[in-house]
Amino acid sequence: MSNMRTINFTLNGQEVSADIEPHRNLVELLQRFDLFGARESCGQGLCGCCTVLVDGKAVSGCLYFAVWVDGKSVTTVESLDAEGVLSIVQQAFIECGAFQCGFCTPGFVLMVHQLLKEHPSPSDDDIRHYLSGNLCRCAAYPEIIEAVKVAARRA
Amino acid sequence: MIPFEMVEPQSLQEAVSLLDPEEPTIRPVAGGTALMLMMKAGVFQPTRLICLHAIEPEHARITVSGEALRIGAMATLSDVEHDANVAARLPVLKRAMRTLSNVRVRNVARVGGALAHGDPHMDLPPVLAALGAKVSVAGPKGHRELPVEALYSGYYETVLEKNELITSVTVPARNGRKATYMKVTSRTADDWPALGVAVSFAHKDGTIRDPIVIVSAATEKLTRMTSTEKELQGATVDDKALARAGEAAAAEAQILADAHGTAAYKRELLKVYLRRAVRQALAEG
Amino acid sequence: MKQVGREIPRLEVRAKVTGRADYVHNLRLPGMLYGKVARATVPHGRIRRIDTASAQKIPGVHRVIAGEDIRKLIAEPYYGPAFHDQPILALNKVRHVGEPVAVVLASDPHVAERAAQMIAVEYDELPAVYDEVAAMQPDVVVHDMLKPAGTFADLKHLKGRTNTNVALDYHLRRGDLDAAMARADRVVEHTFKTQQCLHLALEPFVSVAEPGDGVLTIHTSSQTPSFVRTEIARLFGWPENRVRVKVPHLGGGFGAKVYVKLEALVAALAVLVRRPVKIALTMEEQFYMITKHPTTFRIKSGVDRDGKVVARACEVFWNGGAYADIGPRVTQKSGFTAAGPYDIDNINIDSYELYTNRTPAGALRGFGIPQLVWAYESHSDLLARELGIDPVEFRRRNVLREGRPQASGTAMKDAAIAQVLDAIAARMGWSKPFDRGHGTMRRGRGIAIGFKASISPTTSVAIVNVSADGSTTLYTSTVDMGQGSDTAFAQMVAEILDLAAEDVRVVHPDTDVTPYDMGTLGSRSLFHMGNAVRLAAEDARDKLRALAAEAGLPEGTNYPPAEIFKKRYGMQAGNIIGTASFVPTYKSPNAQTGLSDNVTPFWMIGGAGVEVEVDTETGAVRVTKLVNAADCGTPINPAIARTQLSGAAIMQLGFTLSEDMRLDGGQVTNASLADYKIPGIRDIPPMENVLVEAEQHSGPFGAKGLGESGTFGVSPAIANAIHDAVGVRITSLPITAEVVLRALRAQAGKPLEDE
Repeated sequence: MSNMRTINFTLNGQEVSADIEPHRNLVELLQRFDLFGARESCGQGLCGCCTVLVDGKAVSGCLYFAVWVDGKSVTTVESLDAEGVLSIVQQAFIECGAFQCGFCTPGFVLMVHQLLKEHPSPSDDDIRHYLSGNLCRCAAYPEIIEAVKVAARRA
Repeated sequence: MIPFEMVEPQSLQEAVSLLDPEEPTIRPVAGGTALMLMMKAGVFQPTRLICLHAIEPEHARITVSGEALRIGAMATLSDVEHDANVAARLPVLKRAMRTLSNVRVRNVARVGGALAHGDPHMDLPPVLAALGAKVSVAGPKGHRELPVEALYSGYYETVLEKNELITSVTVPARNGRKATYMKVTSRTADDWPALGVAVSFAHKDGTIRDPIVIVSAATEKLTRMTSTEKELQGATVDDKALARAGEAAAAEAQILADAHGTAAYKRELLKVYLRRAVRQALAEG
Repeated sequence: MKQVGREIPRLEVRAKVTGRADYVHNLRLPGMLYGKVARATVPHGRIRRIDTASAQKIPGVHRVIAGEDIRKLIAEPYYGPAFHDQPILALNKVRHVGEPVAVVLASDPHVAERAAQMIAVEYDELPAVYDEVAAMQPDVVVHDMLKPAGTFADLKHLKGRTNTNVALDYHLRRGDLDAAMARADRVVEHTFKTQQCLHLALEPFVSVAEPGDGVLTIHTSSQTPSFVRTEIARLFGWPENRVRVKVPHLGGGFGAKVYVKLEALVAALAVLVRRPVKIALTMEEQFYMITKHPTTFRIKSGVDRDGKVVARACEVFWNGGAYADIGPRVTQKSGFTAAGPYDIDNINIDSYELYTNRTPAGALRGFGIPQLVWAYESHSDLLARELGIDPVEFRRRNVLREGRPQASGTAMKDAAIAQVLDAIAARMGWSKPFDRGHGTMRRGRGIAIGFKASISPTTSVAIVNVSADGSTTLYTSTVDMGQGSDTAFAQMVAEILDLAAEDVRVVHPDTDVTPYDMGTLGSRSLFHMGNAVRLAAEDARDKLRALAAEAGLPEGTNYPPAEIFKKRYGMQAGNIIGTASFVPTYKSPNAQTGLSDNVTPFWMIGGAGVEVEVDTETGAVRVTKLVNAADCGTPINPAIARTQLSGAAIMQLGFTLSEDMRLDGGQVTNASLADYKIPGIRDIPPMENVLVEAEQHSGPFGAKGLGESGTFGVSPAIANAIHDAVGVRITSLPITAEVVLRALRAQAGKPLEDE
């Protein structure tokens, strides 16, 4: 198709390129790289299941055109245990039982990474503020809040 | 989503020239968070999007000129949230950001888009309107400036031509005026508001001077409440005066029913929250 | 080390936090086509014409398929667990907005989506019925003739019935209601209503069908893989062994993903086009799949001077929507307990499942129980107020004690009702002074308890495989959708075979590999499959002992399995397969009286205590404390059990305060997460979750199911707390701020205008 364009970007630390049309979103682009941790669920940027970091900032992959990552750095949940070691946040989620079905978990984990980067000792209000855009239908919210606190103490 | 073309102008002039006043399927896109929702719902099916990212650097700055604060239209909402000058001069704006959508949307959505979208439920326009802010608009015939409250002509409608772009918004010096914004949600905490009330006023000798009262979300478009302002002008902040102002606001606002509540209920909310907003503005300083 | 009772993390934690957990969403197969469904735009209408020509012309469209195309493949393309009433794609008629009418297949989902929008359908619109009570009259009839599936004996009498919307009527008669009402000191009657809600799993429904050589494989987000296999085989007229159903991780189910949902459609499409077909719903489309029954419940009680309930009449109308799904089971099974966990000698229950022109309703975390508890516990509170008795004390006087027969005639056994009530009262500090607020902020508190009979009789089969190195694998068709069943079962196997639970591998459902299970629903897995798993592990243990004897090892010695295998086979070879089936006993209720002395293998008990603040100027309700308690038997993994309790309560909090599927002329007007509001992190009150430990003697290691118990008490406890705070009674869900303000204004004689 004539709208196809080639984009070059950094994906979890590696230089990659892709041919993609403007109407496709970032979640679709990641699926081409067999990365499924970012999931389109509500499709409206409200549930956070599609959270991806672009140049270090969390975005909703379902509301972000794939072509926009041209020249940028994209980080997905799959990079957090690149060395085979879970991140502090992931470890805290496990210890606190901060999920049930797990579908929303990668999004929460990435949001908590951004939270702790910007607020290393977050207040309860900071935690709720950063995570108010992530939904968990299994409602593991109390355990998630606990996990953030555990991770913050260790970070 | 249906395929479309995306072009990336390298200057503001080029961007304006690529827009077509007669063609509704061509639109500018900056953050895209609102536009993509419309595209996914099928209510907007573009043939071409004019991506403004290439002109971002010069239009994303937040600067202080004299006593005023100028926010470039390409600044993200999180740029505004974390800007030191905003925090120091306009704490009300920083506070409003915290409950505006969510962190991911604020990381991407731009000030220009938040103003130009015309959805009456948005939080940024009422705050800026209450602060007396003006938007600068670029079009083929040059620049013009208009108050934020004059931007809206209807539900999702603005007075902007299809080939005009907001370039910045300028917030005048606060001069000690009190200001606050109250977002009232009627279902869950992260809901769109059932009602937004933004107020600013000078407070001298225990009385309210030169109030600006803005109502959003419950009305078809952001609305400045001039009768309510008259009621508040010179009033002392007490229950009686605030109740009178609340009644005036409920009578003045053209409140609509929707999933957040009936018009009758939202009128009650307005009476209560106008009072609470004035008191909160005083308390927040 | 003791394995049962350990609070180990779920087995699959690493996969979930790294985003690598396997969901059907991730699956893409060579040659796979994406299907996009074109849906009915009218609530009730005869299909005059389906025009697919312009959709077919879109470049990239592989094929467009409508109901008549399916009929060429399957002569009777109707499915459903209770009634064979649901067409794979609409035939002749549509019965609710959003019903699938046609499907576009394309390699690119965007192309399929665009083409699906181009399908034009002409209808002769028919009058529609939306309300469950109105549907009792046959003015509008949703189905021309009732077609019970034949699996259930109690539906047989409905076969061939016409001119009715009643898909099941269940009647219970215990004692002499009229005489008891006449003798009662006071008779009090109320009507309560609930709204239409939905499960809204964050993983929307998704299924992939993959045609193969002599077998059709279905990868699906299902809670009932065994049922899917049986039903797909029945539709095609194939033996079951030609259908293979695989379920990896499930991104939430809550009762939505039971029986057949997308599976019949993808199966038919894949067979028609001889390529793999995937259909993944959007969030919006979930609003047209399955919901929770709206209900109207008329409840009337006679009480004596001492506050003892002597008679109770219950009339419950269940709004089942356009297709019966599992609604008839909800109507009957929950009908057993509609009178509440109280010892009442004279009871009439009439429970009706109605067809209407709404999205079908099924089971949602409680199988109808939360709707019933909403009514009978709101009613209990009003009775206590009427009599001037403290609500906890009123319940204590009336609750069913151990061994007493419940309405159906089945005795309460291992049912810690009074203990749950006491636990809540204790955590609430019920006997202590309570701050009632002041000015425009008023405080109140309320409690509620409920109970549930398990769905019965149902079967579970488990296989435990001990390999020659001693490592052990468990095969079950239970779907772990986050409730922790894999982990709990591994703990049971480990306990019996003296292993560490973390070392037991649990194979996810694959009907070619894992044995039959009725389904992961109704909190039945821990009890039913748990019993099968325990027995299968014991079978393996016994076989290992026999193997040791064959190998000449002395009895009673504790050789590791690897050494036994080596000794017996001369090398690392062979394996031990332990198997077991479990099905509890059950007695069908008497057709006339609805009574049976064995309706359930175990009882679930749950309740809640709530403190609220009500803003009298806006009606806004803030829950400031939420105590959840449930009888969990002996918990296998207390940490996971507590999160089940907590999660269920928060879900019910949404159904109580904000969730409401709105209809306008049969159209859903809020089919998105922007407009249908589920609880987020800022909506969560301070909570205490209390596991009331008891022993379920017939359960594995004393355990019983718990996934639903946390939902029971939340809604009425909140309404009771609001009444306590500001003196108004809310009788319909959801309890929005506006509903409360309107009630306050009406009470003050200054009602708000309607619009």
